[in-house]
Amino acid sequence: MRSVLILVTVFVLLAGLGPMLAPYDPTAINIPKRLSGPSAEFLLGTDAMGRDVLSRLLHGARWSLGLAFLISVISLVIGTTIGLVAALGGRLADWVMMRATDTFLAFPELVAAIVIAGLMGAGTWSLIFALSVTGWMRYARVARGIGLSVQSRGYVVQAQLADMPGWSIARWHYLPSLIPSLTVVWTGMFARAILGISALGFLGFGVQPPNPEWGSMLLDARVHLRSTPLQMVWPGLAVVICVLAINLTGDALRDALAERDRHE
Amino acid sequence: MIQVIGGLLLRAIVVLSGTALLTFALLWNAPGDPAQTIAMARFDALLTEDVIDQVREEVGLNRSFWQAFWAWLGPLLTLDLGYSAVTGRPVGPDLWAAISYTFPLAFAALGLGLAISIPLAVIATKRPGGWLDRFAVGIASLGNAIPSYWLGLILILIFAVKLAWLPALGAATPAHAILPALTLGLGVAASLTRIIRSGILEARGQSFLPAFRRRGVSDRAVGRDHIAPHAAIPVITVFGLELAFLLEGLVLVEVIFGRPGLGTFLVEAIMARDFAHVQAVVVLTALVFVTVNLIIDLIYRVIDPRIGESDA
Repeated sequence: MRSVLILVTVFVLLAGLGPMLAPYDPTAINIPKRLSGPSAEFLLGTDAMGRDVLSRLLHGARWSLGLAFLISVISLVIGTTIGLVAALGGRLADWVMMRATDTFLAFPELVAAIVIAGLMGAGTWSLIFALSVTGWMRYARVARGIGLSVQSRGYVVQAQLADMPGWSIARWHYLPSLIPSLTVVWTGMFARAILGISALGFLGFGVQPPNPEWGSMLLDARVHLRSTPLQMVWPGLAVVICVLAINLTGDALRDALAERDRHE
Repeated sequence: MIQVIGGLLLRAIVVLSGTALLTFALLWNAPGDPAQTIAMARFDALLTEDVIDQVREEVGLNRSFWQAFWAWLGPLLTLDLGYSAVTGRPVGPDLWAAISYTFPLAFAALGLGLAISIPLAVIATKRPGGWLDRFAVGIASLGNAIPSYWLGLILILIFAVKLAWLPALGAATPAHAILPALTLGLGVAASLTRIIRSGILEARGQSFLPAFRRRGVSDRAVGRDHIAPHAAIPVITVFGLELAFLLEGLVLVEVIFGRPGLGTFLVEAIMARDFAHVQAVVVLTALVFVTVNLIIDLIYRVIDPRIGESDA
């Protein structure tokens, strides 16, 4: 858990302070200096409109990481709710919720997100909607499994017999079981959201220019592959580093939880 | 067994109907006037209300939601995909043309992924925890974090622009498929390596293996007859996920490499608001996906009969 907190802190700092460290305005156009290579003035060079690539990368952290965080939390809330309703709401609710989950899983998530975002019209809101609505199924499955197993434990039955209020049972008996596993799922979905945002940005269906988002920066840079190839390297590298950091943290957390379960 | 197959089939039908309905609802409620978009794509000029209304009438956009849904679903059940309102041509042949570019690429990528990941996992598990093992796991973790579209661009940069060894854009010759297949194959290999590796390690921990060894069965025979089938189970289970990964990658990789496959077909259809094309791709994808998962479910039940009714 501690490693997840450290990671989140680093990302919050990166998204919060990154823009302050940026030497220039990320949308300031400077046509005479367009497509210049790395120099003392522009450390990572400039793009096709003469905008400073370093400043755009640093501001881009706020778009990519911030949106990915938002999306992964929205889908966490949707998925957990659906999973718990399925587990605790009786047989019919379970059947309906799980078939809905199957239906959403019957499609590659990113392809579904591309269709939804593309048809809704490019923009940040359709991006958030498309990735949230296609990203809740894993949470639902995990929450349902835990809900079913906790429901049958002796202490929950006793708490119900003792007239413990529902929210109190949820707080003291369900939440402690849900949090660790859902955090593992969340790290995976956070990483997927970063990849999804940049993929949609790269196709032109995501965050729109002149906003500096890593995927759309890649789209801009692609055209100038021959003249300034390095520009294409930076935004992709930023995505890789963030996703790798999240995945490694998620792996470590999963191993730690498995270790703890073995000792119990 | 027949009951199990029946249950799985019913589930597949429910899921497919759900997908069809959701897709149609999404298209129906998409913002903007589709009639206008279609008219503009067709005539490429400034249009009067009159022309747009004629298009609306012709394409059937003035019907109610359910009328339009049944009008689409009915022919679909007889495998009639209808006509594209934008191109005016039947959807089927164009879709097949796109698939003929996508299928070989997908199979090449899958083959390449297996050809890289199986030896890598076998070498890695020779000494678990050794430097080769850690190296393989590290490479696989890195590979999992690299987006396919970026890898594709980097490969274009190295092999097409700098070294000029391979063509990058289009699909004119088989050589054009090398870079896209490599892009996808490396991604598949990255995710499979870890799964095969842990499959082998788990299979090796099985309690019956020492008994075979004591009876003098060679290491090679134990590996072939006992470890390999055990390690295959987790690989079969994740095959559905692998397919999803492959399809997601295909869309982006085809767009990057300018291949006229299913992914490019889908993205172009979305941009042109070509409802018939979008629906065709979505339903086809769902069908392939549901069928593959159904087959995996069945294979899994045959290999490991312990999974049964409790897994509702």
